[in-house]
Amino acid sequence: MRDRARPSLLAVIALAAVAAWIAADLGDGAKATAESTTPEAGTRVARSVCEAHELRELQKKDPDLKVDFGEFKDATWPTRAACLSHAAAGDPDAPGPLQPIQFSHKHHAGLYQIDCQYCHSGTDRSPSAGVPATEVCMGCHAQFPASYDELEGIRTLKDHWAKKQPIEWVQIHRLPEYVQFQHRAHVRAGFACQECHGKVETYDKLPLVEETVWWPWLLPAHKLEMGWCIDCHRRNNATQDCAACHY
Amino acid sequence: MTPPPAESVAAMIRPAPVRVDSKVNRDLLRVMEGASVGYWVLLHLAVAFMLAAGGWWIYQVYRGLGIVGYRHPVFWGAYIVTFVFWVGIAHAGTLISAILYLFRAKWRNAINRSAEAMTVFAVLTAAQFLGIHVGRIWKSYFILPYPNQRALWVNFKSPLLWDTFAITTYATTSILFLYIGLVPDLAIARDRSTGWRRVLYAVLSLGWQGTSKQWKAQNRAVLHLSGLATPLVLSVHSVVSWDFAMSIVPTWHATIFAPYFVAGAIFSGFAMVLTMMIPVRRIFGLEEYITDYHFENMSRFLLLTSLIVGYAYLSEYFIAWYGHVEPESTEFWMRAFGPYWMSSWTMIICNAFVPQIFWFKWARTHVPTVFIVSVLVNIGMWFERYVIIVGGLSREYDPAAWGVYTPSWGELLIVAGSFGFFAQFFLIFLKLFPVVAIAEVKEIEIHSKAHGEVGH
Amino acid sequence: MAELDRREFLKLVGTSAGAAAAVGCSDLPEKLIPYVVQPEEITPGLPVIYASTCQECSAGCGVHVRTREGRPIKLEGNPEHPINRGKLCARGQAGLGRTYHPDRYQSALERDASGALAPVAWDQAIARLGAAVSAAGRRTAVLTSPLGPTLSGLLDSWLAATGGGMRVEYEPFAPEALRHAAEVVFGVASVPVFDLSDTDFVIDFGSDCLSTGLSPVEHARQLSAARDAAKESARAARLVYVGPRLDETASQSDEWLAPKPGTEGILALAIARAAVDAATGPDGEIGVAASAIARQLSGFGADAVAARTEVPAETIRRIGASLARARRPVALPPGVALSSSRATSTAAAVLFLNAAIGAVGHTVQVPPAPSRAPSFRDTTRLIEAMKAGDVDVLIVHGANPVHTLPSASGFAAALGKVKLVVSIASMPDETSALAHLVLPDHTTAESWGDAAPRPGVRSIVQPTLRPLYDTRAFGDTLLDTARAIGAAAAANLPAGSFRSAVEAAWKDTNWRAALQRGGVFDGGAWSSPGIAEGVARLQFKEPEIAGDGDFVLLAVPSPMLGDGRGANLGLLQETPDPITKIAWQSWAEISTKSADSLGVRPGDVLAVETASGKLEVPVWPRGGLRNDVVAIAFGQGHTVGSFAAATPDEYSTGLRAGERPAPGPARGVNVNAILPAQSDESGGRAFLVAKAKVGKTGRFQRLPYTQGTDNKRGRLLGESISLAALAAGGPSPWAPNETPGHVPGALAAVPAAAEHGETGERRAAAGHGGEHEILRAYDPVNDSVAEDPYRWGMTIDVDKCTGCSACIVACAVENNIPTVGESLILRNRTMQWIRIERWIGEGEPVLEPARPDVESREQLGNVDVRNAPMLCQHCGAAPCEPVCPVFATYHSPSGLNGMTYNRCIGTRYCSNNCPYKVRRFNWFDYQIERWPDPMGLGLNPDVTVRAQGVMEKCTFCVQRIQAARLTAKGEKRAVAAGEVQTACQQTCPTGAIVFDNLKLADNKAGAAANANAGRTYHALHPVNTRPAITYLAKVAREEGHEA
Repeated sequence: MRDRARPSLLAVIALAAVAAWIAADLGDGAKATAESTTPEAGTRVARSVCEAHELRELQKKDPDLKVDFGEFKDATWPTRAACLSHAAAGDPDAPGPLQPIQFSHKHHAGLYQIDCQYCHSGTDRSPSAGVPATEVCMGCHAQFPASYDELEGIRTLKDHWAKKQPIEWVQIHRLPEYVQFQHRAHVRAGFACQECHGKVETYDKLPLVEETVWWPWLLPAHKLEMGWCIDCHRRNNATQDCAACHY
Repeated sequence: MTPPPAESVAAMIRPAPVRVDSKVNRDLLRVMEGASVGYWVLLHLAVAFMLAAGGWWIYQVYRGLGIVGYRHPVFWGAYIVTFVFWVGIAHAGTLISAILYLFRAKWRNAINRSAEAMTVFAVLTAAQFLGIHVGRIWKSYFILPYPNQRALWVNFKSPLLWDTFAITTYATTSILFLYIGLVPDLAIARDRSTGWRRVLYAVLSLGWQGTSKQWKAQNRAVLHLSGLATPLVLSVHSVVSWDFAMSIVPTWHATIFAPYFVAGAIFSGFAMVLTMMIPVRRIFGLEEYITDYHFENMSRFLLLTSLIVGYAYLSEYFIAWYGHVEPESTEFWMRAFGPYWMSSWTMIICNAFVPQIFWFKWARTHVPTVFIVSVLVNIGMWFERYVIIVGGLSREYDPAAWGVYTPSWGELLIVAGSFGFFAQFFLIFLKLFPVVAIAEVKEIEIHSKAHGEVGH
Repeated sequence: MAELDRREFLKLVGTSAGAAAAVGCSDLPEKLIPYVVQPEEITPGLPVIYASTCQECSAGCGVHVRTREGRPIKLEGNPEHPINRGKLCARGQAGLGRTYHPDRYQSALERDASGALAPVAWDQAIARLGAAVSAAGRRTAVLTSPLGPTLSGLLDSWLAATGGGMRVEYEPFAPEALRHAAEVVFGVASVPVFDLSDTDFVIDFGSDCLSTGLSPVEHARQLSAARDAAKESARAARLVYVGPRLDETASQSDEWLAPKPGTEGILALAIARAAVDAATGPDGEIGVAASAIARQLSGFGADAVAARTEVPAETIRRIGASLARARRPVALPPGVALSSSRATSTAAAVLFLNAAIGAVGHTVQVPPAPSRAPSFRDTTRLIEAMKAGDVDVLIVHGANPVHTLPSASGFAAALGKVKLVVSIASMPDETSALAHLVLPDHTTAESWGDAAPRPGVRSIVQPTLRPLYDTRAFGDTLLDTARAIGAAAAANLPAGSFRSAVEAAWKDTNWRAALQRGGVFDGGAWSSPGIAEGVARLQFKEPEIAGDGDFVLLAVPSPMLGDGRGANLGLLQETPDPITKIAWQSWAEISTKSADSLGVRPGDVLAVETASGKLEVPVWPRGGLRNDVVAIAFGQGHTVGSFAAATPDEYSTGLRAGERPAPGPARGVNVNAILPAQSDESGGRAFLVAKAKVGKTGRFQRLPYTQGTDNKRGRLLGESISLAALAAGGPSPWAPNETPGHVPGALAAVPAAAEHGETGERRAAAGHGGEHEILRAYDPVNDSVAEDPYRWGMTIDVDKCTGCSACIVACAVENNIPTVGESLILRNRTMQWIRIERWIGEGEPVLEPARPDVESREQLGNVDVRNAPMLCQHCGAAPCEPVCPVFATYHSPSGLNGMTYNRCIGTRYCSNNCPYKVRRFNWFDYQIERWPDPMGLGLNPDVTVRAQGVMEKCTFCVQRIQAARLTAKGEKRAVAAGEVQTACQQTCPTGAIVFDNLKLADNKAGAAANANAGRTYHALHPVNTRPAITYLAKVAREEGHEA
């Protein structure tokens, strides 16, 4: 018995330690996201829907945390997912350039599974995929409750729309000007956008997806470089005529 | 080869063998010691030209090739001309070192070192022009067949690619040749020098002790290298000539080009050796080692190659007339009497007529004459390439697209710079390495002494 | 390029990465700027096409404007438009350049105290104009080019509303004499419409109808169709040209008469007389015309006239007879160059001729008289008024009188007497430079409007991009001014903007349909009027050509620059003159004989002096010119604009982005400086009025010509075949047993051995190489991968090519080809992918002297001129391919000779080895140096802008091929015959160029070649490059082979 009890006891202690550590960590996280002054000790005030979401999460963890939700008591919009994605998309430390709007592909294409071509509508008929017009964004966002405006990205969007001023996105997937890439040819041939653009729907903030194929002599061919294109063209028995892309 | 006349051999043997070693060493190594004002002036001049040309070249890369005198349809100009010129120069070295070595032409020993050195520097100079000439130097590595994921390969059909290989091969071989010949002399230099030079020579001479084993190995190496190098003498300039012969440009597209160019190369190469060695001999008082007898033999060579080149000129015109293909005959007529008549006649007179003076012994043995002729031949050979390349392109199939090209001063500056580039190497070489192959000179003396005993 | 401006602009219209990249800015991060609201019809990356109207000249051709992301990038003819049927001339093709011109006025400008033009707010400017106009009242004058009906109507009512000022319509080269002649002869004051379609005999009395005539594109199209050598019936249709100079039309003609300048009218009457005699016997009745004509003709017997015109009597009789015999003949009256002080009677004489040969009502239609027509008389009246100080406000729109009026008219000086000169120009010109107020107009591509080039043709001008700058349409300027003046003035003017006015004017039509078609075209059949009685009053005699001097000064319109309005377009400056192949400069043409007697060689500067002034201009001796004539083209000699001054060596100034070269010596001369201000009997401007003294100055100026010689040395380049030989049938003498245009089955017929085997010796007649040349027949189809469905090929008909050079400009616009400027043309550094080689006769292998010289082989009366377009032949055995060390140029599976710019390292070996010399090298970073803002916006995003140090050449418009292939692929089909059109083919007015996929059974190119199998040849065939371009030899229609 004993001899069997000793290891299990050790295991329990270890697990407890880990749990405590995680809890502490979450606590910090909560503090970080929902800094709040406390009128009476221990009560925490939510100043925005997003903070409310976070505090609610904390409460789930330790029930005896006092929270004053105030006006945000049963506010559901923006959703917690929206809050998190928005924060992540605006995170300067994440790879990739900061966009004028904290737009998250993960939220739109991933969570809500909006089809790529809903926004990038040119892909199947035009050489260039095209970036959605502000109008397209507003098509949905105009219908969302005003509470969404607490997200900076939404405010910027509506601001541009009001001023009828285009949004200057920073280009991520860029080809040299001497390459004439044809989106329609590839989309019509039934290639998923992810083949070249990577799992866009899993990224909040979009970096240039680094993917490397290895050429027979173990030479690296990086995504959106010619070797990488050629490799795919060869595998799919597509044209390898220079004039197909260079003119 | 006619055997050296007795008196000149005697000149070599004297003074007596016992003291030979030390004296030869002293004489020949003296060249490397100190440096006269004249030397420094020359060196600075050379470097100055080189830098000026370099500056212009950088500007040319920045602004584009348009700043030089190219005119449609003449897309190859002074740069390619000079490239071919230097490759030609490079030929004497290998010829003297390899072929004459195999023929056991003893008189070569006094001049082979400088000739080989010249070869190396000339090839280096020539190689640069490939880069200067192209429109996108920053992309010129495309011409190397390196494996790449784009699965892009080079075009082995293109003579320009053959060029790349030919030049690199030739450079490697000639450097090896020069170096292996140098080893024993470097050892001597090592034993007599001090300070950094000693270190340098110690490293370069690969611990040469002069044991018979090492001599044997060295001789064998030289022998084999000569065997390897001999075909190169013919092949390299043949390949260069194919840059033109393989195209369909009238006056380029000719089977005679390979032998024609090779002969021309040897011709210009010997001329250049003379142009360099005559002043060197004078300045460093090497009359005892580089004798008139050497110059005479080389004059004979000039005469021979000049006859070959002259024959090529004649046959070109003959075929143009005999074949009567209108564009070609027209071009040849215009070569002689058209816009480039002056260059053509310079080339014909300097290359085909002037050297005929060497039928006379007095001319062959009169050093100033030899010097002047050699310089004229150098000039003539530059113009030969100029006439062939520029003249050929300026009057092609479509008369609506004819144009006359003249080099811009920028191009000429770079041409001058190439001479500076070449000269500075040679000058530095003079001060670092024995310009006459000490060991081989001794070898001759010992041999001839041996013969003397046998009683020749 | 300066980032900001571009950004600003992109904000306005929105763009996509593709477009941004094509401008050539590779600075990362590049911005993607989407629309705020994306227009329904626009998909970024796909072109949108709008129908509009070309405003470069008054012919009024319809255009299709190809736009990308809201920016027009290419003009193409509107196939539905009755005037040009999908074709455009060089000037039309270059028209877009005005919109993206760096010189443009970017706001309203006002002359400040210092006398310089300074920006001013529009409201202020309008207010000032309004005040001035209301103050001036009747002392207001408006000088405009011919306006569209709506704008014209608006202007009339505006003048009425603002006190009834004077209105003058001015067009330098308006056919006034012709209109007056029509008034006299037919009693209708309108310009007759000459219909050359299906004609079998055309005689042109010096209007150069194919390049600078009444309606060049239309006439070129009709004439080439009427003379199509593929059609047995049309083959022998004759063109006779009458004029002192071998111009484009003369070069196309079958017979060229060079009578004494000014005697064309008399000659016409004599020919009419001869025709009548031939038709009716010595004193018979004339069918159509009244006895009035008979009376007029009586005095003009062939023999009498022969002496006066220096044209042999038998020639006159012969031509008369042919005309009488002809089924559907037409005679064209003189154009600008030959309108003398008796231009009206000359034109009337030609109309007589038309009447005599029964052309009136068939090939000559007389439309009802228009409400208003340009008038030189009015213009001179205006100048008088200005001189007298009777004009307080002068508004100038669409015209540049300071440059285009003879200096002797004193217009510039008279301007000084006007209190307020207002210019509506959108770009600086000599007139706006003297204006007090500049209210810049939109360019054609930015504005609304309409045009009625002739009754029955109403054409719409619609904007294709948001105005680039703070400019305002002339119509709106007028309306705003009226409103500024006050309600009273504005009351009887249309409310709203000018656009709404245009729409209102079209309310009788289906507006949207009209917009889509580009207008309303309901043909125009008009009752053919009889001969008016007034004709009896006409006096026919030689005009007085005043001045001392042995030369008649012949001022000819420039095919490229017109009256000078094209001079500020680099593309037109760079496109060589179709005759002399000179670009960027002025030159004086004298005959080689006169040149010898003067002792001048090409480029020696001449002093040309008349009573009114003196010009110094380099000489270009020609054989194709009368000895008593000195010809100078209009167009150059500007003093304002970025091309006004010949720029110094661009390549040594180190110009970078945005910089403008410092002005150098003036570019060319303006012939108006030495033309006296004279008018003909009826007040139209006369040009053939002065004799000139011509002398040497001793100076020399190298002329930037692009073709050094017109001697093809008998080489297989521009070939010609006699009508007799052609009629005899049989295979082409230059390429035996060849199947130039592949027709499936035909290939099977040729055994593989014979296919590439020897096929016997070629005729010595074909020249180049003589009898020893062994030729190989081949089928271009074999020069692409067997399983590839495509082999792109072309057929070019030398017989149809007039040398008009529209293809050159179209190619440059489509393929982003830079203009390199005079100093680089002087170094043969032109970048154009297609050139038109002009050969005189078969030529002979003459041997050049040491100093290469330009010798003209033209001769008076010799019409053996061959215009052979030369572009990349996309050879099956291309010499350029094997010599490229890096495969930058290679043979594509579908037979194209591909050129991969980004692989090229610039060894230039390919160009050396190209026998056609069609490859071009990027000597500089033209992308930076030749497209200052905002020119970059007009670039074609589908074509890479080539970088410094790479080769380029004609690609057969591979971008169009790829687009078509993708579309076809999307629709699961192959590209159909004729689906892909290259830019040159699309615009060629005569349809000389046909491009197609030779592997299709019904391919157009092959069909064209097969239909003319008797005269096919391949350029420089003996070099055996197996070109994909099949040429059709010019047909020499010698006498005796008439229909």
